[in-house]
Amino acid sequence: MGPFEYFEPRTVGEATKLLFIHGEKAKIMAGGIDLIPRLRKGEIKAGYVVNIQNIPGLEHIEPNQKGEITFGAMARLRSIEGSETIQNKYPILYEAIHQITSVQTKYMGTAVGNLCVATPASDIATSLFALGARLKISGVKDERAEPIEKFYVDYHLTSLKQGEMVTGVLLPNPPPGTGTAFLNLVRTHADIAKISVAAAIVVQNGICREARLAIGAAAPTVLRAVNAEAFLMGQKVTPEVIHKAAEIAAGETKPITDIRSTAGYRREMAKVLVKRAVEKAVETVKA
Amino acid sequence: MKKEVAYFKVNGRSYEVILTPETTLSELLREHLDLTGTKRACGVGECGSCTVLVDGIPTLACSTLAIAVRGKEVLTIEGLAKGTQLHPLQQAFIDSGAIQCGFCTSGMIMMAKALLDKNPNPSRQEVKEGLGGNLCRCTGYVKIIDAVMAAAEAMGKGADR
Amino acid sequence: MIDELSVIGKRVSRWGAYDRVTGAAKYTVDIKLPRMLVGKVLTSPYPHARIIKIDKSKAEKLPGVEAVITFEDIPKKLFTPNRHDLILYHPENERKDMYVISEKARFVGDRVAAVAAVDAATAQKALELIEVKYEVLPAVLDPIEAMKPGAPRIHDFAPNNISLHLNFPGSRGDVEKGFGEADCVIEETFRTSKQHISQLEPCACAASFGPDGRLTIWSPGQSAFLQRRKVAELFDMPEGMIKWITPHVGGSFGKSGALSVEPICVALTKKTGKPVKIEYSREEDFRGTETRQTYVATGKIGVKKDGTITALQEKLIVDGGAYFSRNSTTSMASMGGFTGLYRCPNVAAEADCVYTNILTTGGIRGYGNSEGTCVLEQLVDKAAKEIGMDPIQLRLRNIKKAGDPDNKGLPMETCTLEELIKVGAEKIGWAEKRARKKQNGTKKYGIGMAIMMDVSGAHPSCIQHRNAYIKFNEDGSANLVVTAYDMGQNLPGACAQIAAEVLGIRYEDIHILNGDTDSTMFDTGIGASAGLYQVGQAVMKAAQEARRQLLERAGKRLRLAPEELEVRDRRIYVKSDPQRGISVAEVTRQATYNLEGEHLNIFGKGSFSPTQSPPPFATVFAEVEVDTETGEVRVQKILYVNDSGRVINPATVEGQIEGGIAQSVGYCLTEDYVINRETGVLESDNFTTYKIPSALDVPETEVILYEEPVPSGPFGAKGVGHGTTIAVNPAIANAIYDAVGVFITDMPATPEKIFEALRRR
Repeated sequence: MGPFEYFEPRTVGEATKLLFIHGEKAKIMAGGIDLIPRLRKGEIKAGYVVNIQNIPGLEHIEPNQKGEITFGAMARLRSIEGSETIQNKYPILYEAIHQITSVQTKYMGTAVGNLCVATPASDIATSLFALGARLKISGVKDERAEPIEKFYVDYHLTSLKQGEMVTGVLLPNPPPGTGTAFLNLVRTHADIAKISVAAAIVVQNGICREARLAIGAAAPTVLRAVNAEAFLMGQKVTPEVIHKAAEIAAGETKPITDIRSTAGYRREMAKVLVKRAVEKAVETVKA
Repeated sequence: MKKEVAYFKVNGRSYEVILTPETTLSELLREHLDLTGTKRACGVGECGSCTVLVDGIPTLACSTLAIAVRGKEVLTIEGLAKGTQLHPLQQAFIDSGAIQCGFCTSGMIMMAKALLDKNPNPSRQEVKEGLGGNLCRCTGYVKIIDAVMAAAEAMGKGADR
Repeated sequence: MIDELSVIGKRVSRWGAYDRVTGAAKYTVDIKLPRMLVGKVLTSPYPHARIIKIDKSKAEKLPGVEAVITFEDIPKKLFTPNRHDLILYHPENERKDMYVISEKARFVGDRVAAVAAVDAATAQKALELIEVKYEVLPAVLDPIEAMKPGAPRIHDFAPNNISLHLNFPGSRGDVEKGFGEADCVIEETFRTSKQHISQLEPCACAASFGPDGRLTIWSPGQSAFLQRRKVAELFDMPEGMIKWITPHVGGSFGKSGALSVEPICVALTKKTGKPVKIEYSREEDFRGTETRQTYVATGKIGVKKDGTITALQEKLIVDGGAYFSRNSTTSMASMGGFTGLYRCPNVAAEADCVYTNILTTGGIRGYGNSEGTCVLEQLVDKAAKEIGMDPIQLRLRNIKKAGDPDNKGLPMETCTLEELIKVGAEKIGWAEKRARKKQNGTKKYGIGMAIMMDVSGAHPSCIQHRNAYIKFNEDGSANLVVTAYDMGQNLPGACAQIAAEVLGIRYEDIHILNGDTDSTMFDTGIGASAGLYQVGQAVMKAAQEARRQLLERAGKRLRLAPEELEVRDRRIYVKSDPQRGISVAEVTRQATYNLEGEHLNIFGKGSFSPTQSPPPFATVFAEVEVDTETGEVRVQKILYVNDSGRVINPATVEGQIEGGIAQSVGYCLTEDYVINRETGVLESDNFTTYKIPSALDVPETEVILYEEPVPSGPFGAKGVGHGTTIAVNPAIANAIYDAVGVFITDMPATPEKIFEALRRR
């Protein structure tokens, strides 16, 4: 790998300036667990590596004035996993991280770094879709907040413009009556998901008021099963309704056959997992 | 290739090394410092055989740039024993029959040390989960988990960490 | 004689433990030599291509590059990387079909050129500068396609790509008649998985010529002397001019029984005059080192209503890969395993070994017996279901006993299969669990079992020749010098236990010198669980001779006949008057520095060649849970009941079994060596894509060590490690069959396949 030039900026401004100047040739290193192996294998090339580990203020996991939790670009997976607030308020984010089996990866890796790889198989991304997360993005001139659905443009492609970096993630407050669930299927515990589903359902008096159904590894980006969500809205959540919603959701997927699974199996399992996830989410509302 | 001089603290000793930014921590240890106890079985961060502690944090040396850890305390397998006195984990691995070919052993022990430093009294399941990122092809993991449990017990009884 | 054993049977710490836990152990990948160059191999990106021209000029001009070699620069001798041709009594089934660097690319990953440079980055750059002009040829990636007329010919000498047709010599009786007598005949075709054994230490080799022209090689090869001879013959050197060192080995499981990069490494060191080390990346290891033997296996079984097996027949199509290597011996072992596990008067088997444009399938733990037994044991369960009989009852009906021939045709000194079945069935609660209600929500429970018999060394098919010697030190400790290849199975430690027991000193008093052909004596190498049974006996003989000298010397000191003396725990004492004695150390020191008479450095040499190969036995019970909505299989528990004769070190034996179980779970359920069917490129080339079990993927394991000492073994011991991947697969497959009625014929048994099978019903 390399050769490349190496930088340790001290502020977000310094970092974004470097990214702006060097464009595609510059890569951010947060945890490094995705970047370094890919550089070694030659899958990506970098002329400039920008290490953001030493920028103060990016490690936080804390509430804002509205009580929404934000975490910064250098918040390590292990810290987010260990945060009681996250465990209690956003259990599916906790679960998505917890089921990563490599403890070393969790100590080194960051959630934002994981998101920026832009793979649809990211369990963290899938759970954040269901939670309605927004990404905080800083450029050389300005800052913006982007809903996570807009952040992903295509496979391995984000909406980041030249000179921009993600500085954090904001998790909105779940409305009252929210139940969530996260499920996935893997070949072995340490593998990337074949397919994953994260559901956030708001149920009041047995009626579904809001539904966010995110499906991972079943399309070029994580997808929201918007038709299935629309079907659920305003309906009584009965087994038949859930079953039908799962069928609709499966029809919205665009899975492929790859080394982990087949397109056909993924589509079938989308149905199974959406059904199970919605059932489980509804259960957590009751509880 | 732009080379620079950097200073590292490994196993309590200071080293001055000439290296390029591309040098991984794995290469620094194995090639520059002759500390070959840290292994390199996959190079993509999947096997855990390159696990070392950086400021006490379990770190995959193959996926870390050396230059990013300069000035930090790096602990490798070679730094665990005090002279001929083995760390309880090392002793437990021997006593429990947890070593077969030994290639995963360094990474396993370093990861286990990080685990026990944080959680001195783990359950068997917690040990299993803690070693989820360390692959072994010989042992089936049974005696490795036995060894970590035995080390936890010995350390709890006051065996020197 | 000693009533109670002092070292044998104890959980003593393994050989090399201290070095391995402190990071001091040097593996081949850790070797560093002064002025050492880094070697790298250029491989073909095409599965089948003629090499028209190679322009190495740009690579040679790159500063820091000291050699670039191609087919032009290597000895023009065809060889087989497998060492069996040197020791088989009938080597005519072997095929020498490989050059050190290939003259034609026969798989993606085939060796096309190699470089030696001052560092890895320069070597890599040099590879990229080598310009190869290929003529891409049509490729064939499937053995059945490869056999068809008109298929691309991979080796000139093999029409229809069939390198060998084998009629199993153990065939007997009349299978047609046998099938005619059966009430139920089952025939199924299986595709076994091309598992990559993925030992953790990537393939590596270092080589260096000394100023006197002697060559030193560092390699994890399993048969140092035989592999040395191969290299010697390739490079026209006498064996004595090569010193082959075996450093610590990071796993092998049979793979390093074949040469891999050693010849290229030697060619580079010869060309440059400097030490060269080649260290494969994990990707290169996956792409370029042999996989498990892979078959399309059609098995047929005939049983009567009362469970008697009347006939067994197997036809193998061996997906041999691009080079022959161990295709013939693994096929023989597979057919032997299939036809020889049960009593049956009518058995027949044949195999076609077929070339395909994929990586060679080699000889991995289980060595064909694993595949043959898996096919058989699954058919037995299916037959049992057809005739409405409990699968254990059907097995017991046809079970072999002591005196019956084993799967090589040799009469068995002991046979505990029946006992192991009964012990295991009771422990797991077979009857109750088979009868229990299977369903829990979407999950169905199943229990299955399988049995196996394996070998303790490759007798009688080839020369097996072991040597060891022991010399006492002045202080009463002893050096054991023996070729006791350790790939993790702790053969040196077991040998030290044997030596200590016989010599009457402590385990820690034995210092082992291992892995150096200059000092250890000739040995045919490790594989097929030959180590303990065979090398152990050479060690025993060496120890017995050294003990004889020790007691003779002590007798002179005590003025007694040696027969009146015993030695135990470092002390020689008079049998009839145990208080009277002398320490071993005193005898050895005085013998060395004798002021009064003859000096003697007490020394014993032992040589051994087997006349038997007593089979280790095992029965395995597996409990699974299958999610009928997703097809996922969770193995809840494996019970492994093992008879390896006397257990020299329980920790070692358990460790071998526990490791074999984990490998088998991967082999059965998740490990899939995925080759792109269009391009021939390996897609699963690292642990990201090829998933081996982690600690979280291994089921609950229980091991029962059932000791039935075998008379011919050292202290009654037999082999163990090789066989631990044989019975677990079929046990899991049979448990899935019990749970959901899906009969696995295509491994790995992934959820996708099980889901599809469930859906089709």
